[in-house]
Order: sequence, then C-alpha cells, then structure tokens
Amino acid sequence: MSDAIAELKGEAGVLELHRKFLETGAVPAFRSINEKAIARFEELGFPHPKHEMFSYVNTHEITSTPFQLGTGTVEPAFVDANTYASCEKSRIVFVDGAYEAGLSNTTGLPQGVKLVPLEEALTQADIKTHLEKTIEEENDFFACLNAAFLKGGLLIDVSAGTIMESPLQVLVTGTASKTPTAHHPRLFVRAGRTAEVKLITKYVGTGGGYLVNSMQDFLLDDGASVVLARVQADHAQSWHAEKSRVYQGRDSRFTALCGSGGNKLARVHNEIRLQGEGAEASLSNASVLIDDDQSHHFIRIHHEAAHTISHQLFKNVINDKGRSSVDGTVIVNEGAQLTASHQLINNLMLSDTAHADTKPNLMIFADDVKCTHGATVGQIDQDQLFYLKTRGLSEELATELLTTSFVESLISQIQFPEVVVDLKNLLLKKLEVKSD
Amino acid sequence: MSLLEIKDLHAGFEGTEIVKGVSLTINAGEVHAVMGPNGSGKSTLSKVLAGHPSYEVTQGSIIYKGKDLLELDPEQRALAGIFMGFQYPVEIPGVNNAEFLRLAYNAQLVSKGEEELDPLDFDELLDEKMKLVGMDPKYKDRFLNDGFSGGEKKKNEILQMAVLNPSLAVLDETDSGLDIDALKVVSEGVNKWINKDNALILITHYQRLLNYIQPDFVHVFGQGKILKSGDKNLALELEKQGYDWVVTETAN
Ligand SMILES: Nc1ncnc2c1ncn2[C@@H]1O[C@H](COP(=O)(O)OP(=O)(O)O)[C@@H](O)[C@H]1O
Ligand SMILES: [Mg+2]
Repeated sequence: MSDAIAELKGEAGVLELHRKFLETGAVPAFRSINEKAIARFEELGFPHPKHEMFSYVNTHEITSTPFQLGTGTVEPAFVDANTYASCEKSRIVFVDGAYEAGLSNTTGLPQGVKLVPLEEALTQADIKTHLEKTIEEENDFFACLNAAFLKGGLLIDVSAGTIMESPLQVLVTGTASKTPTAHHPRLFVRAGRTAEVKLITKYVGTGGGYLVNSMQDFLLDDGASVVLARVQADHAQSWHAEKSRVYQGRDSRFTALCGSGGNKLARVHNEIRLQGEGAEASLSNASVLIDDDQSHHFIRIHHEAAHTISHQLFKNVINDKGRSSVDGTVIVNEGAQLTASHQLINNLMLSDTAHADTKPNLMIFADDVKCTHGATVGQIDQDQLFYLKTRGLSEELATELLTTSFVESLISQIQFPEVVVDLKNLLLKKLEVKSD
Repeated sequence: MSLLEIKDLHAGFEGTEIVKGVSLTINAGEVHAVMGPNGSGKSTLSKVLAGHPSYEVTQGSIIYKGKDLLELDPEQRALAGIFMGFQYPVEIPGVNNAEFLRLAYNAQLVSKGEEELDPLDFDELLDEKMKLVGMDPKYKDRFLNDGFSGGEKKKNEILQMAVLNPSLAVLDETDSGLDIDALKVVSEGVNKWINKDNALILITHYQRLLNYIQPDFVHVFGQGKILKSGDKNLALELEKQGYDWVVTETAN
C-alpha cells in the first residue's frame, strides 16, 4: 500500500497514481477515456483558492491528501440495512466505486429497464462519443478525475414509453479506511421518449477515510421524466464529491429532491442543460450541518431553448462550525424566449460560528423571460420562539420545532415515503441532539 | 391570597419607559376589563406579564400565586397557568397547528407530573374545543396561524386557551377582527371557561365585547398607567364619551 509513489502529494501524486492505475488496474475499454481525462486534468490542475468554481469550497485538504484507490468489501447485511423496503428487488450497489452485481438485485425492474455495464455500452457510438466529448468540455477537476480513473460503471437504459412504478435504488458505499482512499462510481441514465424513471441514490460509508467522487449523466429524450431522490448520508469523516450532468430534450422533466447530511467536505455540482422546448428542471436540497460538517452546491442551469422552466430551492440549517455554500447561476441563452426560472436559498443559522455563502446569479441573453432569485440568511425568529414558549414549550423543544419545520416542508415533498422517513431520521435527528 | 398582584410596575423598551407605574390586584373568580387609547401601553403590559425578553422591568413587582413572576421564564409562566392571547399572533409556517397544540398540552401534563395524552385522545379533546370556539376542523392541519385571516387567528388564540385551561388569561384585543357572530360564539366559550378559581383580563377597545362577557371591574388605561377604575358602567360611559374626559379628570 504505502510504497514511495503513494506518498507523492498534490498533482504529481495524482499523476503517479494514475500511471500505476493504467499499468495494473485499468480496463482496456476505458483506456482512451482515461487518457483523455488525465490529460484534461493536467491542463486544469488543482484549483487555486480563487478559482471561480471553488470560491466557497476549500479543497486544500483533499488536494494535499495522498489517496489510494479503494478496493474494500461490505457485508450483505450492511447493504440490506441501507436498502429501502420497496427497493429490495430493484437495487444496484457500488462498493468503493465498483458495481457489485452480487450485492445488487434487479429482478423487480420492469422489462424496459436495462442495466448495461458501461464497458459494454461503449460499443454504442453515441455513448462513447458523449463520454469522450464531455471530457474536452469539462472544467471540474473532480469530474475529470472520475473519468481518468473510470474502470466500470453502469448504464441504466430505460426504453421509450417504459414507466417505472417504483424506484430503483442506487446504493453507493465507501468502506472504512485508515489510509485515505478515493473511488469513482459512474452512472449513465438514458431515459427514452416519454419514459418515466424513478431513482433513489443513497451515499453511505462503513466508516470514515474515503473520498467518494461520483459522476452521473442523465440523458432525457423528448417527453421523458426522471424523478430523483438523493440521500447523502456519508460517514462524517469522509469526503464527498459529485457531479450530475443533465441533458434534457423537448418537454422532458427532471426533478431532484435531495437531503444532505454533509461530511468533512461534501460538494455537489449540477450542470443542467434544457435543450428542448418546454423542458423543465427542478432541483431542491435540504442540508442539516452540525459540528464541522460541510455541504456545498455548485449549480449551472442552461436554458438553451424557448419555454423552458427551472426551479431551485435550497434550505440549510447550520449549527456549530458547519459550513454551507450555494453557488448557482442560471444562464438563459439568446433565443431562449419565454423561459421562467426561480431560485431561492434559505439559510437558518443556529450558532455564531456557523457559516453560509450564497451566490444566486442570473445571466440572461434573451429579452422575454421571467426570472426570480433570492437568498436569506437568518436566525431563529425571536417572536416565533417567544410565542411557542408562552404556550409552555421549553426553549429546546420550541427551537427544535422551528428548525425542524424549516427543512421538513422540503423533505416532505419527496414522493417516496421511505426516503422521507429516512431523511427525517438522518437530518432532523441531528437537530435533536444539538438543541442547546 | 390574590391570584395576581402588580405593584407600581414600570417597564419599557430600549430605555423608553412605556408602562409607568401600574398597580392592579386580581383575585380568582374575577373578570377585569382594561380599556384605553391606542399606544397607551396595554399590549406592553401584557407582554411584560408573559415575559417577553425585549421588555425590561425597571421598577415594581408582580406576584402571581404568591411567587415572584418576574423570576420565571415565559414557558414557566405558561406552565404555572398564565395564558396570553396576543393582539397580533405570529405566523409559524411549517409547524402543524394540531401537533403544536398537542405538544403544548402535553408539556403542561408533564410539568404536573402526569402522563402525556396519546394522540387519538388528544384529537378528540381538540375536536370538542374547536366546536366550543366555532372553528372549522380543517384548521387542525394548517400551519400555525399561517395565512389565517385576522378573525381565525383570534379564534385560534381562544382555542389554545380552551385547550390549555389556564388560571389567568390575558386576552389582548381578541375581539378586534371578529364579526358579531364569531364574537358571540367565542364569548360563549370564554363564559363556559370562567369559574371561581380562574381569572380573566380583557384588554379591549370596544364596549361591545362587554355585552357578552360581563366584567367585574373596568380600568381605564392611559399614558402607561391605570387612570381610573370602576364597575361595568364605566365602560358604558367610555363608549359614549370617549377617553378624553378621564385623562382630563385625572390630570387635575
Ligand atoms: N417593540 C416595540 N418597539 C418600539 N416601540 C414599541 C414597542 N412596543 C411598544 N412600543 C411603543 O410603546 C407604546 C405602547 O404600545 P402598546 O403597548 O402596543 O400600546 P396599546 O396596546 O395600548 O395600543 C407605543 O407608543 C408603541 O409604539
Ligand atoms: Mg395593543
């Protein structure tokens, strides 16, 4: 494990690790992608502190940590404990970045949902072209590294007209490690014409010490719908990087409702391209951060066609030394007339040491558009607190009620009841313990 | 022993004195009406009674059930049996009305060393109290006061009073915003609650309310003080002649 090469830090360490990876761990089918991606990474390098994409995110700890590639295992019982009851026969499991067919169970999936190992999917010209082309345009070093170390992954191919009645769960597991490990899970979701896809992604760890650097592509054909619930429940002593690229055809709908528990550094990058007329995207996230938890969101939504709609709602409750940032820009291209975009970021600060950065932003190059954006940073409302106390509720209970209500309204909108319960346990429990 | 004894109370806000020497004794079984012009400090007095942290008591004392009230936190005052019906109840989106009432009710039971009421039994109790104050059951599932009309907010205050069954209730202009039909229903509810062991302070602008809830005492409040006290006939006189004559009379 700890040979001299691994001790190299920074960019040189990554390049060394990659050389080693190409020699021993790489899969030939991905070779050209791996090489293109590491070349792109070399061009980009690690971000300097003023990098536009990382204005509010300090990547120093991650970029100065020498990571190995994780190859741990998990017990089936651990997987079962993290599987939603309705997904027992529709779950796919990644362990340290690798798809584990043995732990997955997809017998309950409808006919029209095909799971194809990504190396096989590369024989389809459009998939290969997409993966290669996106590397050249990629400016996020995390995404480049995912492609550089790509050696597996899964295409979820949902054929035209297929309706998923119940969700498919993707469980992404990092294993406990004393020396830091990184892993790079990859999903490719293709929703055919008018297909309706339901997906839950849940991120967990058997312990700390891992960096999960996850990457998803969503291609929505005309009239397709993807409903995604995302549960970021990583171990507190881990790092989480994630990027979703969403490409939406005419009249397609992408809805993501997410809950983030944060960790040493959780950073999610969403790039959404509304390419067909009438496409609509909705992105919501509730974070509850305590201790040293961090959760950061970087969003770019491109309205590339007329009559497209986007909604964003972010709610963060931050206690102790928690840190959150939401950096979201909506870009309305020239010609994308009659588009509508709404963005709202609300932060509830529970301590003097809590920190929130918000940057809602609009770049509009069309003239007939309806866009709103806003951000608030506030404390518990003292009049509300007083009112509850005059009814006999203790300071603790009243505070809990007010903080809980802040995120509950968002979580409750998730259409999978088990995820709502899970997120309430994950997020609202953090508020109970810390109601000081 | 009196239920409440306020002696020479001075209180204010950021250095400005608003309540300027109020003395008032209230015994169990009594209904007191407090009337007076806008801005004279009536709401401030009631918020001081409830323990609002923004107001500072600079002089005087408040003894409630033999205890120094000013030593107690707002929640302790509530658990000791004081209920404040606010002139302007706050809206709390995200907090379910029925759930909130159940928490408040149970907080009281627990403070008395009793067991919490289970949700089904509480729901029954709540239905009964909602009927008492003439409130549509749909308000159970709404967020607390969120988007309620002025009248519904006031009814919701009375509902809370009916559920919590305090020893001393202060209703600050609860009648404003209620139409006459609602006022009759709410008054009936309040009258049913009144007994020889509890007491009520009605802060009001309109004599109209006192046709439905009979006060034993009427106090005229002005410039941060009680200027004049009398029986219910004083309210009739105020309705006819306004407050000015009291102010002039007491200025001499
Ligand atoms: N929180 C506050 N901030 C500023 N001024 C206040 C505040 N509370 C009360 N006041 C002032 O104190 C005076 C009395 O107000 P209030 O007690 O509401 O009177 P009333 O209820 O008799 O109409 C008014 O002049 C009001 O402007
Ligand atoms: Mg008032």
